[in-house]
Amino acid sequence: MTRTSSLMLLTVAAALLLAALPLVLPPFYVRVGQLMLYSAGLGVAWAILGGFAGYASFGHAAFIGVGAFSAGLVETRLGGVPPALLLPIGIVVGGACCGVLSALIAYPVLRLRGTFFAIAMLGVSNVCAELTNNVDFFEGSLGLTFPSVVPAGLDPAIFFYELFLVASLAVLLIAWKIRDSRFGAGLLSIREDEDTARMLGVPTERYKRTAFVVSAILTGTLGVIYGHSLGYITTDSVYRNDTNLNLIVYSLLGGMGTLFGPVIGAFSLVFITQVILGRLLDFHLFATGLLLAFLVLAAPGGVIGLVRGWRQRRRRSGAAPAE
Amino acid sequence: MSETPILQVERLSKSFRGLAAIADVSFAIAPGSITSIIGPNGAGKSTLFNLVTGYLVPTAGEVTFRGRRITRLATNRIAELGIARAFQIARPFRELSVSENVRIGALFGKTGPRDVAATTARGMALASIAHLADEPANSLTVGQLRHLEIARAIATRADLLLADEPCAGLNPTETAAMIDVLRQIRASGVTVVLVEHDMPSVMEVSDRILVLDAGRLIADGPPQAVSQDAKVIAAYLGTPDE
Repeated sequence: MTRTSSLMLLTVAAALLLAALPLVLPPFYVRVGQLMLYSAGLGVAWAILGGFAGYASFGHAAFIGVGAFSAGLVETRLGGVPPALLLPIGIVVGGACCGVLSALIAYPVLRLRGTFFAIAMLGVSNVCAELTNNVDFFEGSLGLTFPSVVPAGLDPAIFFYELFLVASLAVLLIAWKIRDSRFGAGLLSIREDEDTARMLGVPTERYKRTAFVVSAILTGTLGVIYGHSLGYITTDSVYRNDTNLNLIVYSLLGGMGTLFGPVIGAFSLVFITQVILGRLLDFHLFATGLLLAFLVLAAPGGVIGLVRGWRQRRRRSGAAPAE
Repeated sequence: MSETPILQVERLSKSFRGLAAIADVSFAIAPGSITSIIGPNGAGKSTLFNLVTGYLVPTAGEVTFRGRRITRLATNRIAELGIARAFQIARPFRELSVSENVRIGALFGKTGPRDVAATTARGMALASIAHLADEPANSLTVGQLRHLEIARAIATRADLLLADEPCAGLNPTETAAMIDVLRQIRASGVTVVLVEHDMPSVMEVSDRILVLDAGRLIADGPPQAVSQDAKVIAAYLGTPDE
């Protein structure tokens, strides 16, 4: 069995286990599970651009907000549509709006690299938040109530838990497919050295824009589900600067540029902040910052980097001749 | 020149804020040849490569590859047509292994049907680094990095390789190995253009030498003739101390 097949099998087994967990978990942990799955999906969607192509965005909350608000605004105006259809419509609308927005801003922002790109994206996130808050049409300051889409008889917490699981799994599979493709290899080469990649024939501009749009659509789609899970959203609940920070931390914690790194990072960080530090109010923000500083200094490759390093050392010591 | 040139440069010029880096340079490269471009530092050799590969846009003049104008094409489009470049300072993808580096070249480069695994293996074999396939690029020596640079460029299935100082910083043994690699690449059907300072290597490997000085082409001919050219001696080679 190849390494990819083993990983795929392990992922399916983990997904089945995660799907069954709400049946035995207390309600608080189902909510934590929701947040873990949502964060993992966001982390992987972010990593398509930030991890694979090396364009670390510091403003992906823009797409969570645009996705959630555009879907909410459309859904609240569709009075006669059955609830079962509202969520799919919302996902299409939210994803499409994020796709259009990202395609429009891709050309100017992706001309920037490194810190400049990150800060430009923070600007995009703040501009979107301000527009949502101050233009009456968007209802960002008053708030927007989503119509209920939870089927009768189902616990909303469990429904959204399973929905986040399916969505995040879909994001993971899309990212997996991208990483193993020619497109993924091209993104990797852009991350390593964009000028050299271009010299080898990689269509760097087209690839960066495509990765940006795909990442934005997937983030927006998760934003739509997040909006529904909250039921009522304001500007502050979706355009969150701590989310902008956390998306970077997930990859740093798990392993920058890897497929499963953001999943490991998101699960770990949500568990630490919600369960271990959950009673300490905003102390988790301090903990996130501290963790980020520690990771950059001590383990720049994240958990996966540490495991790979340990494996390499083990292989080398195994290959060394016996004394 | 009886054969249709693979690369033709016509009256090419490039100025940076009025300062001419390349001035009215014209030449043609025959397919299957090894041509070296020499000249003092600042003569415009690397600028010439940058213009041919689309990294810079010329102020005037045309570059034609296999009869097609490529003067204002994007760098990646030029690579798709079959021109590859190995950099003066090796620029490997440091987080990837040797074979992964070469595989990127095989996945992209010249358009057309491709067998990525076979092309990757061929690139590494031609550059004599097949034994390093699984080594991380960031663990290679300077000499090995230069071979990797060549392997990755060859894996693009290029018809024309532009190699910028492939022997720079190499010891005599490594230089001999690099010359051997360049000859094998030519034997495989790839046309090679070198920028090189190491004159013994240039004299040994080249069919023809172009000499640039202050952005102008001052000599063009077979190695023996160029080495005795008075303008070349004055501008670059100098006279041996008796």
